[in-house]
Amino acid sequence: MSPVDEPLTALERNARTVLEEGVQRIDARTRSRLNQARHAALQAAQARRLPRWRSLALMPAAGAAAAALLVAVMLWHREPGGELPLLEGQRSAVEDLDLLADSEGLDLMESGDGSFYEWAVAQNENGESNG
Amino acid sequence: MPAALHGDVTLTDSSAQSRARALNQFLAGVELKAFKIAQAALRHEDDALDAVQDAMLQLARAYAGRPAQEWKPLFYRILENRIRDMQRRRTVRGRVIAWLPFRGEEDEDDPDPLSQAPSPEPQPVKRLELDEAMGALEQALNALPRRQQQAFLLRTLEGMDVAETAAAMGCSEGSVKTHYFRALQSLRAQLGELYL
Repeated sequence: MSPVDEPLTALERNARTVLEEGVQRIDARTRSRLNQARHAALQAAQARRLPRWRSLALMPAAGAAAAALLVAVMLWHREPGGELPLLEGQRSAVEDLDLLADSEGLDLMESGDGSFYEWAVAQNENGESNG
Repeated sequence: MPAALHGDVTLTDSSAQSRARALNQFLAGVELKAFKIAQAALRHEDDALDAVQDAMLQLARAYAGRPAQEWKPLFYRILENRIRDMQRRRTVRGRVIAWLPFRGEEDEDDPDPLSQAPSPEPQPVKRLELDEAMGALEQALNALPRRQQQAFLLRTLEGMDVAETAAAMGCSEGSVKTHYFRALQSLRAQLGELYL
């Protein structure tokens, strides 16, 4: 207890006795207020801990909400690629447009020998007779 | 006062509940001595109560999860910081008030009947001796520089060892020994051996 861990001097012993007596004499009002302060501190510590428990209790709901959001986002991103089924005539019209826009198609027409078209007609006729 | 008489805080988790109980027991064990230490430093009962309350709150909020053996130095470190803040604020307030032309006396409430309630007391003669010794010691402690007073009270009243005192005071163990030694020298010069 002494500065160099020597046995207590008389002064230290007596001072401790006097100080402890002073603690014993603390009045009831002060004791009561200290008691209230302690309980307030413990409740504050408990209140600080509660939100974590509350957040754990809400975990399933939060998880479900996150999953629903994820599905919604995935569907939303998929929508532009999700083309409506085209009718047969519409598909061929689009393909014709592609052919017309294609400069190679024009080259075939301009070459003038018509061999490609004859071949194409023959292919078509064979297909119809087989089908 | 035993901790069981101080009531408990209801918690859902058993480990949290046992920790709260341990914290309650710790605070119940230090609150009276902490109040006396704060009172010696601040020389004002309400300020001392506020300082102890703040220290309790901060310990419970921020350090309840720390190992229980660390609570005491942490608590007294927090208390010391709080005391220092209050002393600084008081110094500033004192300077401001000193400039005011008309200042009333400090509000003096009627004595609270509870505060007059008797505590368990020793025999009259012994009590008289203790009263005198207490008054002399209080006066001598008030005359000490703050760090010496703190080192002396933490070691003598709270029974902390040098390492704990150093942690509570935020200084080296060597400084604690120096402050304590000087405090003893001053007290001995004023009180002799404080015979009871």
